[in-house]
Amino acid sequence: MKESRLMLLQYSTAVLAVVLVAIHLVMQGIATPYSTAISYATILSIYRTWFYAIFLEALLVVVLVHGFNGVRIILHEWRQTAPWSRWVDLGTVVAIVATVAFGSRTVILAVFGGVAG
Amino acid sequence: MSSGAEGKAKNRRGLSGWLNPYHYNFERWAYVFQRVTGVAILAYVIGHLGDTSFFVGGPTGTGPSESSWTFISGLVENSFGHLILILVVLVVIFHGANGIRLIVSELGLILGRPSPIEYPYRPKSLRSVQRVLIWVAIALALVGTGWAVLILFGGSI
Repeated sequence: MKESRLMLLQYSTAVLAVVLVAIHLVMQGIATPYSTAISYATILSIYRTWFYAIFLEALLVVVLVHGFNGVRIILHEWRQTAPWSRWVDLGTVVAIVATVAFGSRTVILAVFGGVAG
Repeated sequence: MSSGAEGKAKNRRGLSGWLNPYHYNFERWAYVFQRVTGVAILAYVIGHLGDTSFFVGGPTGTGPSESSWTFISGLVENSFGHLILILVVLVVIFHGANGIRLIVSELGLILGRPSPIEYPYRPKSLRSVQRVLIWVAIALALVGTGWAVLILFGGSI
């Protein structure tokens, strides 16, 4: 992908992240008292509400794409050799795929997994 | 000097040049903090993926587990953990608000009109609105931090 498009991706994920993180912070202390918000029963009911499950998955993807692409930009500014650029780009894709997969696993298991004691 | 050696000499300072605070102005500090807070937030998010995975029994879990969640809550829900959360709120709000300023300036909306360069050669694009918006980002971060302190250490909010 062209660098200009990657910067547009960085800016659009930044704006989306501001909105999604603001909602996430409000949910953790204003909409619901903090002690209730982090209780097992509340979290389970949030994961098992489709709207919030999709919201959390979107938050996961947006923040990780923005974060790892940001690190990629810093590393590209640091050094500019062709092999370095290739490894940084490859590492960024691997890091995004691995962390999104791990985070999505939590969301999927929380939504569909059998409840243990 | 060969062109390769020239290129190497130009880039010799690397990260130390980026982090060297000598002769930094206010906007440059905002730039450094934007990057440092960005990396710190990413590190926190990766750790947060780890601790939230305990809701489904940890990395090898198969579904929601109250005992696993109670275990991880016991590790992170204490004064030290809450102090980390407060720092996270501080840097997240600064990074978000300052980032919006950077996007708006990248669109050319708050740079001002071009004018002849005059002594003491301070860039016009960094005056007034930009500087005010950096202070707004700092103020929002401090207000958010106060809110987080009240929630985490203030009792039953």
